[in-house]
Amino acid sequence: MDPKSRILIVEDDDQTAADVAAIVEGLGCAPVIRSTLADGIAEAAGQYSVIVFDRMLPGGDSIDAIAKLRAQGSTALILVLSALGRAANRVEGLEKGADDYLAKPFEADELRARLRALLRRATMQVLDNDLMAFGDLEIRLKARTVHIARAHVSVSPREFDLITYMARNAGQVVTRMQLLEQVWKLHFDPGTNVVDVHVGRLRRKLEEVAGRPVIQTARGEGYVFAPLPAAGTKA
Amino acid sequence: MRRPLARTTFRLAAVVALTVTALSLVGMGLQYRLVENRLRVAQTALLAADLDGLGALYDQRRIIALRQAIDYRAAAATGGEMLLLQDRNGTVLAGTRADWPAGLPVLGEGFTADSAQIFTDEGQRWLGVGRVLPGGFPLLAARSLAPMEQTLAALRRTILGLVLGMLAVGGVVGWIAARGIMGRITRINALADKVAAGALDARLTGPRAADEFGLLETHVHAMLDRIEALNRATHRLSDTIAHELRTPLNRMAQKLSRLQGQEDLVDDLRDEMRKATKVFDALLDISRAEADQGSGGGLVPLDLSLLCSEMAELYEALTEDKGLTLTQSIAPAQNILGDRTLIGQMLANLLENAVKYCAPGDSIYFTLTATDAGPCLTIRDTGPGLPDEIKSEIFERFTRAERDKSLPGHGLGLALVRAIATRHGARLSTPPVEKGFVLQIDWPKLAL
Repeated sequence: MDPKSRILIVEDDDQTAADVAAIVEGLGCAPVIRSTLADGIAEAAGQYSVIVFDRMLPGGDSIDAIAKLRAQGSTALILVLSALGRAANRVEGLEKGADDYLAKPFEADELRARLRALLRRATMQVLDNDLMAFGDLEIRLKARTVHIARAHVSVSPREFDLITYMARNAGQVVTRMQLLEQVWKLHFDPGTNVVDVHVGRLRRKLEEVAGRPVIQTARGEGYVFAPLPAAGTKA
Repeated sequence: MRRPLARTTFRLAAVVALTVTALSLVGMGLQYRLVENRLRVAQTALLAADLDGLGALYDQRRIIALRQAIDYRAAAATGGEMLLLQDRNGTVLAGTRADWPAGLPVLGEGFTADSAQIFTDEGQRWLGVGRVLPGGFPLLAARSLAPMEQTLAALRRTILGLVLGMLAVGGVVGWIAARGIMGRITRINALADKVAAGALDARLTGPRAADEFGLLETHVHAMLDRIEALNRATHRLSDTIAHELRTPLNRMAQKLSRLQGQEDLVDDLRDEMRKATKVFDALLDISRAEADQGSGGGLVPLDLSLLCSEMAELYEALTEDKGLTLTQSIAPAQNILGDRTLIGQMLANLLENAVKYCAPGDSIYFTLTATDAGPCLTIRDTGPGLPDEIKSEIFERFTRAERDKSLPGHGLGLALVRAIATRHGARLSTPPVEKGFVLQIDWPKLAL
């Protein structure tokens, strides 16, 4: 992670702002806090990797300001963190240009996972590469195949999307909610953890061929794609 | 929407035309009667004058004078009068014809026109009398009614023409008047249609007349302004409640994460908070979907088949793990106007319910078929079905069966399903089934 990444937090609730700032620092980034919409927009002109925006701010609704920020030339990725947390609110935010949307009350792990994914996206270079390789595990994007030590792993189309998304965030926690949003494009909580069942199946398939665990469960949070016995991935 | 209006216009026009015509018809009818009476009186007077003349001649020189006069009149016959004088043997002495007409009996003596009779001879109607003169000479004097009848027939033709003309003119005038009125009602109806279609900010443009219609438009506008303000206030209120409830909940959640060493308790608390927000969201989702009901705003063309397949795929693994069979039969390319997130939530609720209540070995059938009226979606399971005591109110908020108190849930799932169906103009039904539960949703056809 780029240690110099700056994250702008626009939030009018002091405690929440401080909590978010603590999480940002935990990620090795530098937080900057503003508490009104106008101040936030003015500050967004600076170099930021990610902006964490509250919605109901003094001065208005931040999602209406996203287009304006983009027009100003800001390339920061925007995570809306709002009390307007119904599925319809989230879809509205994403449609208006937010890169991610998290409802309050949020869990620190969830925010951390999402910020990491955004930071990764912000620093990730667009690779023309068709191949994602993690040691002997290879994912071919165009052919949509998964091989471990040259052995083919038969995955369903949805499982392929699942492993690709996890592979893009390899070594980091991805939460169930993230998977539901990114892989199934569903912005509501269906109740039972349908996602767990799908991840469980994929995990068993991979483990059978690899002979070692490839996807690990992070207690209470989600999953980590860790295909190598030891640390050190190459993309 | 246009047809009843056109029918009203037509009805108004017809009423105006018929009323005007009926009134004039009564007037003309009275006049006709008057003319008919006058003509008959005149005809009787003519006959009386004829008879007076003949009587005067008879007084002078009896039969001989009569005979001469009748001969003279017969020679100059116009066809408008009938005269006949016979002797006691029935031999014609003089007359305009050779025999006595069958329709006229001989009655009385003297030259009076009293009790003149109408009779028909050779298709023509006559007014006349038959008398016997002293010595047994039968005398007939009659006047043709044809001229009078021709006059009356002409009068009738005129009346008929006038009636038809009046009907036409009345119809046209009525139509124009009704169109004027209905046009202004149509304007207000079009506004109501727009509002019903979701455009709560629609208003009538253009000048407003200073009459009852103008007043109606003003009232309608005032009503719409109020509804719009209330609607905005409701939306704002739900946002405000969300903010005021979730912000403190968020502070609690963050503080919870600082607690150490009591992981189980923290997880329980988090779970409770999640449940509380979920109930709260479901209530807001229901009321929002109900408020937006009937408005097409926010709905876009959506491949329902694709969404159904995706949701079935999402739940397939779960049902398998629980020992259930999920059978899907989804007709391809069924498009509707919809909100993907809402319909996704609805399908998730229904599938969640089926999975929750079914026991291993049960089956779930997820079917989407194309019908003429639109796509028809059914979700059927072979689970325990509904207890009788809640059958009538399953779509109401917080309805839960005693039997299911041990299962997780808050009784908002089907209420949300109903609100979402209504939001999309879809019809929900629970067809009777031998075992288990079936819910059918009939979606409106996407107009091309």
